[in-house]
Amino acid sequence: MSVVDDEDATLRERLADEPVPALRVLAVVAVLVAVEFGALANLVMSLPWDAVGAALPGFLQGAAATIAGVGDGLAGLPTLLSRSVIDNAGYQLPSGEWVGTFMGLSPAAAWLLRVALIYAYGFVWLLVGWWSYLVYRDNYRHADWAPVDDMVGRFRNHSWGLFGLAIIFAFVVLAVFAPALGPTTVDANIADPYLHSIEYYSEETGGVEEIYVGDANGESQSRGQGGENVGPMQYDQYDRFHPFGTLPSGKDLFTFMAAGARVSLFIGVASLVLAGGAAVVFALATAYYKGLVDLGIVIASDSIQALPQLLVIMLASFVLSGTWLANLYNGGVVLALLFGLTGWPGLWRAVRGPALQVSEREWIDAAKSFGQRPSVTMRKHMLPYVVGYLLIYASLTLGGVIIGVAGLSFLGLGINAPTPEWGRAVSAGQPYVATPSWHISLLPGILIVIVVTGFNALGDGIRDAIDPQSDVETGQQDQTAAAGGGA
Amino acid sequence: MVADSSRSDAGTAAEPADDRLLEVENLQTVFHTERETIRAVDGISFGIAEGETLGLVGESGSGKSVTARSIMGLVDSPGELLPDSSIRFDGRELTGLSETQYESVRGGGVAMVFQDPLSTLNPVYTVGNQIEEALSLHRGLSGLEATEKAIELLEDVGIPDAARRVSEYPHEFSGGMRQRAVIAMALACDPDLLICDEPTTALDVTIQAQILELLADLQEEHGLSILFITHDMGVIAEVCDRVAVMYAGEVVEQAPVVELFENPRHPYTRGLLRSIPSTQRGADRLETIEGEVPTPNAPATDCRFAPRCPEAFDACREVHPEPVPVATETADADADHTAACLLYPEDETREQAVDRHAIEDAPPGAGAVDSGGESR
Repeated sequence: MSVVDDEDATLRERLADEPVPALRVLAVVAVLVAVEFGALANLVMSLPWDAVGAALPGFLQGAAATIAGVGDGLAGLPTLLSRSVIDNAGYQLPSGEWVGTFMGLSPAAAWLLRVALIYAYGFVWLLVGWWSYLVYRDNYRHADWAPVDDMVGRFRNHSWGLFGLAIIFAFVVLAVFAPALGPTTVDANIADPYLHSIEYYSEETGGVEEIYVGDANGESQSRGQGGENVGPMQYDQYDRFHPFGTLPSGKDLFTFMAAGARVSLFIGVASLVLAGGAAVVFALATAYYKGLVDLGIVIASDSIQALPQLLVIMLASFVLSGTWLANLYNGGVVLALLFGLTGWPGLWRAVRGPALQVSEREWIDAAKSFGQRPSVTMRKHMLPYVVGYLLIYASLTLGGVIIGVAGLSFLGLGINAPTPEWGRAVSAGQPYVATPSWHISLLPGILIVIVVTGFNALGDGIRDAIDPQSDVETGQQDQTAAAGGGA
Repeated sequence: MVADSSRSDAGTAAEPADDRLLEVENLQTVFHTERETIRAVDGISFGIAEGETLGLVGESGSGKSVTARSIMGLVDSPGELLPDSSIRFDGRELTGLSETQYESVRGGGVAMVFQDPLSTLNPVYTVGNQIEEALSLHRGLSGLEATEKAIELLEDVGIPDAARRVSEYPHEFSGGMRQRAVIAMALACDPDLLICDEPTTALDVTIQAQILELLADLQEEHGLSILFITHDMGVIAEVCDRVAVMYAGEVVEQAPVVELFENPRHPYTRGLLRSIPSTQRGADRLETIEGEVPTPNAPATDCRFAPRCPEAFDACREVHPEPVPVATETADADADHTAACLLYPEDETREQAVDRHAIEDAPPGAGAVDSGGESR
């Protein structure tokens, strides 16, 4: 600390005193946002605003329409990393020349370039995050040292945790940039193949012809031994590039996987927010009130845990399949709800111990003794001590949810067809495992394993980083206690 | 009322309840465990007048803190107050209040200072933040106003450079300053009664003296009543107006502080006073009371101190003593001095005295629980 006066300054004052580093970060962030602004606006506009607009009172509807117009305009802005800028769709003339692709590159090269750029872009965001932490720490933070510095330091030396972080980073980028990453789009290739068409060079007619995607898909199927097969990194006869090959239906597997990653991530995060919220509320209530409240929740959680989670989810998703609930986000919402409702006891058990521990601290008594309301006491004096544990267990459980969702889709439950889900790809490829079309099952299967391992590794890393004793070699004894949860 | 029967003849000890701020009568706090019911506080009665400091003294495990928590309504399951207990604060019966009703008493009516200032303050919030929390609850202050009031309170409790200290965290405070901050937090609620549960135990002796002085000043300034819990007779001598000596969940002797020190009547009080190092100059070894406090798990049918008492006789193991007035002629006439010991009243023969205790003891104890005796 330089001057004594500095210590009292609020963050805002410290920012005003020394704005340059912060502005530098802000400038980089602005550039990063600007190049992808169109995609961002597109994402915002793709939310079901119609429903919101209809619910608004009349005089606001006009304003809403204006905003919607502006939003649509923004959504139309070109973005750097979109399919239209670096296009990988095109056809090859007999001369070997590519028409329609980005700078005449081959579709494979164009696609790889786009993927590389998108991952680079994601990586830059990661770096900016790290950089802003450093800027905050070195320029604006009140304290020279905080426990979080040690946590970050421990995590940086935790190679297993870093491996997990890398996997999860790749997975999240895949999910977030799914529309731009696939060689084609879900809309054109999977959902409505007969509403879209492609051009190709026909040797029969000697000219460029147009064909429905659906018809083209029929010629690019992967059907194993003796049948047609489009394997990983191959072109089909319409000059379309398939990084992961095609599904038995001829649809592009990579596009399917990228969109499926989005669904998996949504269900995983939404169900954990739900389960984690319930777990924290219940843990605080049981720790604060003890007695009957505790007993009641113990019984409730025991009852839920006594049921086989996947079986209950199967039953419930079948029962709910005809209702409006099952149509929200193609069945994703109902799965998230079910995983959340059946998953909270596990998380609750994990955070109940720490919550009980905190509730015995004297400052809780002190808060009670000056008449603080129970809800405030829980939120202010107990919650901060529990959240860390919850984060660890949630990240460990996320992998379990992803496996669970994939398992349900494998069985033909859960996410409604044709919305992509990884488990459905595994299921579709099952008859062809021992044939040239091995990729259909194997690639999604390997991805599931890697992602789940990644979440567990990340959770392990965070846990060891938070625990100051893990510096010591003997501090690892509770490893098994926290090992993977979920379905 | 059943509670009254035990104190009907206690003479001056039973002052009219109305003019006292806090009136505890026949308080019984029990803890139900799987094996037995622990009677941590077993039928104690005392009162605190406005502006008065009552010292509650006794060994560890004699039920002092449970008494404090009972008054605050902080007895958690498996503990409970037995139905005969009565705690009247400012004319309002506190036993049986719901949790929400109790919230209005806590802080504004009765505030508490705990033993260990480090664990009373939440380490993740600044000291000012925690004082402001109490301020916003009890005085409706927030924002800048609350900060100013918090600084004022910190100045009141003698923290130098309060304006800067208010934004510091508990770990940046020394032990004595933390306790001052905790007291400031209690004062922020503007209470009428302050319960200090061994507020100086965790502090070193010089700081102790400062804190005691501070409490005395604040009492004068704010007109506080204080219930001061300690095991340190020296501290009692310094701060209290009256003293209640607790042993195994019961009050064995109650007297004004000077009277108690000059004329201790109960053998336990005498033992306690003899075990203060500074009063025993020249002695080779410090005198102690042999043995330890028993855990009371059934209604008393004898004197709980008897096994350790140098003056015990046969009747002590059969009759439960009740508080009787023991003021001597030399003492102030209305010195309200009681002791629960079969040796008193002194002007009666031993048989008469024992009979008197036996009769007084009968109503509350009769047939309630069959006498299983004490487990020692």
